[in-house]
Amino acid sequence: MIHEYLLQFLTLISIYIIAVISLNLAIGFTGLLNLGHMVFFGIGAYTSAILTLHGMPWYIAIFIAGLTASILGIIIAGITSKLKGDYLAMVTLGLVFIAIAVSRNWSSLTRGALGLPGVPDIVRNNFHYMIFTLMISAFCALIFYRLVNSETGKIFQAIRDDETAAAILGKNTYFYKILSVAISTFFAGIAGSLFVHHINFVDPTIFELEFFIMILAMLIAGGLGSIKGSIAGVFVLSILSESVRFISFSPALLGAFRDMVFAVALIAILLFKPRGVFGKVDV
Amino acid sequence: MLSLKNISKSFGGVRSVNKCTFKVEPNTISSLIGPNGAGKTTVFNIVSGLTKPDSGAIRLLDKDITHLPVYKIAQAGISRTFQLTKVFRNMSIRDNLLIAKNADEKEMKEMLENIYLHKPLDTIASELSYGQQRLLEIARALLMPHSLLMLDEPTAGVNPKIRRELKQILKKLKKEGKTVLLIEHDMEFIMGVSDFVIVLNEGRVLKIGKPKDIIKDKKVLEAYLGK
Amino acid sequence: MSSISIAILPQLIINGLIAGSIYALAASGLSLVYYVVKFLNFAQGAVITISAYLFFLFLDLMGLNYGFAALLAIASSIIIALLMNLGIYKPLRKRKATNVVLMLSSLALLIFCSSLMLALFGSGTKTLSLQNKTFDFGLFTITAIQISIIFSAVLLLFLIWLIIKKTKLGKAMRALADNKETAQVLGINPEKVYSYTFIIAGALGAIAGILIGLEQNLYPRMGVPIIVKGFISSVVGGIGSVPGAVVGGLFIGLVENIGIWFLPSGYKDVVSFTILLLFLLLKPKGILGVRMRDDT
Repeated sequence: MIHEYLLQFLTLISIYIIAVISLNLAIGFTGLLNLGHMVFFGIGAYTSAILTLHGMPWYIAIFIAGLTASILGIIIAGITSKLKGDYLAMVTLGLVFIAIAVSRNWSSLTRGALGLPGVPDIVRNNFHYMIFTLMISAFCALIFYRLVNSETGKIFQAIRDDETAAAILGKNTYFYKILSVAISTFFAGIAGSLFVHHINFVDPTIFELEFFIMILAMLIAGGLGSIKGSIAGVFVLSILSESVRFISFSPALLGAFRDMVFAVALIAILLFKPRGVFGKVDV
Repeated sequence: MLSLKNISKSFGGVRSVNKCTFKVEPNTISSLIGPNGAGKTTVFNIVSGLTKPDSGAIRLLDKDITHLPVYKIAQAGISRTFQLTKVFRNMSIRDNLLIAKNADEKEMKEMLENIYLHKPLDTIASELSYGQQRLLEIARALLMPHSLLMLDEPTAGVNPKIRRELKQILKKLKKEGKTVLLIEHDMEFIMGVSDFVIVLNEGRVLKIGKPKDIIKDKKVLEAYLGK
Repeated sequence: MSSISIAILPQLIINGLIAGSIYALAASGLSLVYYVVKFLNFAQGAVITISAYLFFLFLDLMGLNYGFAALLAIASSIIIALLMNLGIYKPLRKRKATNVVLMLSSLALLIFCSSLMLALFGSGTKTLSLQNKTFDFGLFTITAIQISIIFSAVLLLFLIWLIIKKTKLGKAMRALADNKETAQVLGINPEKVYSYTFIIAGALGAIAGILIGLEQNLYPRMGVPIIVKGFISSVVGGIGSVPGAVVGGLFIGLVENIGIWFLPSGYKDVVSFTILLLFLLLKPKGILGVRMRDDT
């Protein structure tokens, strides 16, 4: 029992790490406040679910899931590239509600609120899947680490700190912002795909704000602009939320308590330690 | 090197820049002066591409840059600084400079020496004093390959020591034959380094000439002191 | 075209006005706070939810009389709104938090409250036990509760307009909204005005919560779709403008309900969100052309 629980825990942590690091690239490294990050996660989940339910092999499905999320990300980034601050936050927040509405209503594709059950496993054995996601997670962390320390990564950070200054130094900031979003949403989609093959089910609730608040809390806790911070943030907050299991009284309430934990954690961090543990940048 | 012809720009009905025409010759230091609100920074923003003019044309080294995006104008050879320093606050001095040019350690250290910024390359920009950030911004602007350097009020808000250092920097640039366009209020500073002075008032070019002529011009004095 | 006869149009319009009134109430709290305090306070949805549940608590669980239960619920909700400001937003402002951080905190508060309601009252839907009368006007029907919704919205929004335009507090709010530094130099205490702003917004949200609870049913996450519609209405009408909230609310309410004529009702949401996107991208200042916070 404990063994199974630990496998679940580590698998989810690996998946969340990918989601948080990719969000860090957008917000922490490039300064793009994408409140709709989990929309791309959900799109990756739905895409992979639908494709594998129709018989496509998982290794192609995951890739297409990431690609679909990325293409949508690029389109939205292109449309919103001139928006700043409040406007950008509002548009990306609007995406969340649109995603919920579309997934609920496009029944022919998503079965609406019923969701898509029976999404096939990638590997049957839970231990193997945990190793699989762990490896992909480690690989992603490595890619992102190399990326943010590269010349491109430095340009992302310059855009975050002062987009105008980056432009007058000859950088095509429009291109780099879109590139950042493309990479960020691609991996969000991959994470979503790994997620759906873990819980074998997806429904519109994947887009809901609770999930985003959890990922955001993990990101801020670890610190914006720090890859190792994101990994730490996922671990710390996951352990924190899992400990709720021992306090809560019924399984039905578990979800609610966990949501409260993340909400409180986010507010507490913003109030007392907004840079998080390893953060280099203010929110 | 740089030529503006009939540049005009209005903001919500107010004519900020009015048929502005002037040239900046290569290997000269020109100063753009005028009372507050005369349109100087707007002209800078138009030349660097941050604001698009309503009419007129700008040529750099005989290339029309009027409607190019900001980053292309920078690539064409214009480097500039801002009135309110725009360094990359969360990045180190080294990273700030690397964005401008993929220089090696030696070149970066030399640049810091030349602009009197005696801080290690690893220092995060936000840890620097305001004056030091100003120097960093100038170093960054100098490092980026360019033909024309534009400095917007480099001495604004800095202490006398930094002001002296900036004067030295400008004198060095003059000696090296660089082309610089400067916005400044410090008359002594301007007279000391400029080859030419362009006077702007209410968006219009009032007069262009050598410093010693401008300083005696009645119309210029009126513009500054009011009638 | 539509398979529904045109005879239903008057009913759809009335439904639009009812929905629009609810959205206007939700949106006005949001817009007022955005106007004065300069951030999107999604926790307004939490105030609405809490008020509805407190009303349920006092009315159905404690058996108090209707008027008393309502007053108690409203008073408690206002206090909670004030506490949110004093306990969270004010300390954040002291730390020089950006308005984005305030907004993210308000989202966290909204989530916290929905989950709290679920933990305290259970996930099931609750119905308020109140008698309702239906009036048949031939062309359309309308219930007593629905009439009071429209009536309350008109009255409340008129009162808010009065406060902002005619009182000293309103003047202070407008000064702060226009330029915080200048207002302070003129002796206005921002935090004090913010507190009053949250009291007024809290009242708006509290009353909205009771009315929504009466008209629709209570469920823990009810605040989210309501504040989302409020958000859309604010953007459409012109964010940071209370008249804008009204215009936007009515616009969305009417478009959604008359839209049923053309699209299946499940697509109500998709319609509003498409309108949201279109406005944000093409006409971000809204119908009334309001200045956004980022403009200088």
